[in-house]
Amino acid sequence: MKKSSIIGLIVIALAIGAIISMYGDASTYEGFEMARNNPGKEYHVVGVLNREKEKYYNPQKDANYFSFYLLDEKGNESKVVYNNPEPADFDRSEKIVIVGSMDGEHFKADKILLKCPSKYTDDQVKTAGASL
Amino acid sequence: MSSVTFIGEHLFWGNLGHTAVVLSFISSILVTLSYFFAERNPLDKSWANMAKYAFQLHSLAVLTIIATLFYIIYSHYFEYHYAWQHSSRDLPVHFMISCFWEGQEGSFLLWIFWQMVIGQILLRSSKSWLNPVMAVLMLSQIALTSMLLGVKIFSYKMGSSPFELLRNVMVDAPIFKQADYLSKVKDGNGLNPLLQNYWMVIHPPTLFFGFATTIVPFAYAIAGLWRKDFKEWLKPALPWALVSVMVLGAGIIMGGFWAYESLSFGGYWAWDPVENASLVPWLILIAGVHVMILHKATGNSYIVAVVLILATFLLVLYATFLTRSGILGNSSVHSFTDLGMSGQLLVFLLLFVFLSIAMVVWRWKQMPRSAKDEEIYTREFWMFIGSLILIISSFQILLTTSIPVFNKVFGANMAPPADVIGHYNKWQMPMAILLGIFTAVANLLKYKKNKSEGIKKIGIYAAVALVLTIVLFFAFDLENYIYIALLFAGVFAVTGNFGILIPFLRGKIKLAGASVAHIGFGLLLIGVLVSSANKQVISINETGEALNPEFNNKENVENIYLERGKPNRMGDYIITYVRDSQHWVNTYYQVNYKKINKQGEVDYEFNLYPNGQINPKFGLVANPDTKHYVSHDVFTYVSSVPSQKASSKFINERTHEVKPGDTIYTNNAYAILMGINTNTNAEKVDINNFQVLLGAELKVYTLDKVYDAMPMYGVQNNAASSFEALVDEAKLKFNFKGVNPENKTITITTAEKDNSGDFVIMKAIIFPWINLVWAGTIVMIVGFMISIVRRITDIKAA
Repeated sequence: MKKSSIIGLIVIALAIGAIISMYGDASTYEGFEMARNNPGKEYHVVGVLNREKEKYYNPQKDANYFSFYLLDEKGNESKVVYNNPEPADFDRSEKIVIVGSMDGEHFKADKILLKCPSKYTDDQVKTAGASL
Repeated sequence: MSSVTFIGEHLFWGNLGHTAVVLSFISSILVTLSYFFAERNPLDKSWANMAKYAFQLHSLAVLTIIATLFYIIYSHYFEYHYAWQHSSRDLPVHFMISCFWEGQEGSFLLWIFWQMVIGQILLRSSKSWLNPVMAVLMLSQIALTSMLLGVKIFSYKMGSSPFELLRNVMVDAPIFKQADYLSKVKDGNGLNPLLQNYWMVIHPPTLFFGFATTIVPFAYAIAGLWRKDFKEWLKPALPWALVSVMVLGAGIIMGGFWAYESLSFGGYWAWDPVENASLVPWLILIAGVHVMILHKATGNSYIVAVVLILATFLLVLYATFLTRSGILGNSSVHSFTDLGMSGQLLVFLLLFVFLSIAMVVWRWKQMPRSAKDEEIYTREFWMFIGSLILIISSFQILLTTSIPVFNKVFGANMAPPADVIGHYNKWQMPMAILLGIFTAVANLLKYKKNKSEGIKKIGIYAAVALVLTIVLFFAFDLENYIYIALLFAGVFAVTGNFGILIPFLRGKIKLAGASVAHIGFGLLLIGVLVSSANKQVISINETGEALNPEFNNKENVENIYLERGKPNRMGDYIITYVRDSQHWVNTYYQVNYKKINKQGEVDYEFNLYPNGQINPKFGLVANPDTKHYVSHDVFTYVSSVPSQKASSKFINERTHEVKPGDTIYTNNAYAILMGINTNTNAEKVDINNFQVLLGAELKVYTLDKVYDAMPMYGVQNNAASSFEALVDEAKLKFNFKGVNPENKTITITTAEKDNSGDFVIMKAIIFPWINLVWAGTIVMIVGFMISIVRRITDIKAA
């Protein structure tokens, strides 16, 4: 076989690998029902804040504990725990996307994305996320 | 429209601006067509002449648009939607420039401006290639200026004008029924606080200049296909491609530096879709430049070079589509919202995709091909493999970044990976290792034929690199052995390319561009590795106890609670939140760091001033502050502040009966009564009216400081009055309540300030050797510069 054919095959294999890895690692947008059935598996859950229930953040007691109740798009509710301070502007959010997994009775969020009703500019505020 | 005559509007400027937009659009069509026909009829000089004049007219129109828009923002004409939306009265002038890139229209305008500037340069420098190159450049200018038109064609609104009136954007708002509505629009919406930063004044123009320059190699490639000239276009295209690599690279890293210096995500790169969208064209262009150079040296891989150069500009358009169509929606931090231009953007992208494909297909058979495979022991072979790796690396980034597009096209329900960083690093780290090694291998070999000498050199420099790697592995305190491979790749890239550099240092520095750039790349790899592998969050709860019973997971407790004035141990530091102060709209929180050495003594101390802006529109926008050392950075930001200012309430009031020499104890300090004096000369008290006026001299000792305080007691017309003394920094209040002649004591009361509302929540990270990231980038850019100079002199010499 010619060298160029071998190289070509390797490139194709890597490209297929990248596609498979994208599918494999991609999360999905789901509700709490799915998350409850697969505890520990990470999902994106889109929902709204349940404003009737208490949201809790007391920095004097624990600066890294924030909890609230979220209603997913199907209307299912779960307590959500976030190991960071309450995101700025949390109360004004229209829609909340949480990324994380079910941990016992509550959903443990690693990331919270807020969609705020500012009609005219970038309407997203990212609140947590790691970097390189 | 309504018959109301509005008062106070400055309609002249909007009309001027809009006329200039229409003129710039029509003139760009005229220029494109003229250059097209000039190329088709080379004997007829009138086309080229007309094109030249039309282009000058076009340039004038573009400058008019920019000047008018700036004037509107500068004069606070809030009847214009753009000024109202993106600026406010209190904005300093240098941030008014940033208003241009907060909005979509303004950033297109920036792009148009750069493309016009590039056109002016080409007009003077591109000589025989002027006609076809300008025709392609101006085709893109037509597409860009159409984005600013804001006119309805049938029922489709084409573009979005920056000169639209506020009352026309929000037609239904009742305020616009009043003729004097402007007197009620007092101020604009203001600039996004994240853009109120020095780096945001220079990062976007640099990045856009980089984007704009990618059209030039693209235009040359198209021109080459058009003229069936498969050789000559490469010469002028190469320095332009290098300029593009340099500027785009600088723009991307400035974005990273901005993120690091002023965003609170704690890093310079987060694999955000918007960052990826600008990285991919850059990587592809670098691959393209390498293949162009190897083609010039060997005559091989022509088609690959053409395809990569064409793909670069198409990827810039794709990036524009991704970030401006609103399609990224849920997956990115800083994407723009859709202004209804997604269709138009898609047409722009597809137009150039079809143009490129059509041109390549048209000339497919005539393009030169290599007769045989490359030899393994040649520079060109490893350059080609390196370029392939860049392509695979870009493909992987592009694929995952495009998840929202797949959702739209195939109706899938995919979300970006939950662990984005891990997902990308898993692919990009091995790629980076291979790239680092191949830069050294390729450059140590010669083109075409190599004797065993070159291979021997590779062995020597690799051995040197290996020894250095092991030394550095321990010097940098790396723990995971996986990092050895990446460290080696970086070190080998440095040593190998340094080996090539040595002969050039004697007088032929002009030829050293490649080695310098590759050394920079090696340093960058080392910097990225060490600063991220050993990145250390030091604001971790180290008390060892779970503060909240419900939450016993300790993996992510990275924020620390700091009460004002109360020192806290954090890593090797004792930190104290000292005070806050207000500058313009920002609140600065002074945090004192004391570095503690192994003996428990204070080595040195410094203050950091992370700030926060409580913005009515965006909530708390935190800006970090960083202490830079050569070997590491200490990075700090406030992640939360109390919603209300601390109260001025005093609690724990206590009464003490003391005589001189006695000590008064409070919860966090003690005070000694030094004496009682009668010759007080307090400023606020009119001494003359008192029969008696006594002052209690107190020395107040806190953990690390001593203060003087003197509360006073006086009798005036048989009525007693007390004057308290406040020691603000110690948060203590002393009052002189009375004298007890029978046992020769006085009564002092103490009270402590209620601290419960006076705190910040803070996060602190140490980035070791992050300076290598910046240094590597700068060295790389210097390398590009040397290469550009060399390629330009090459043309002149030819």
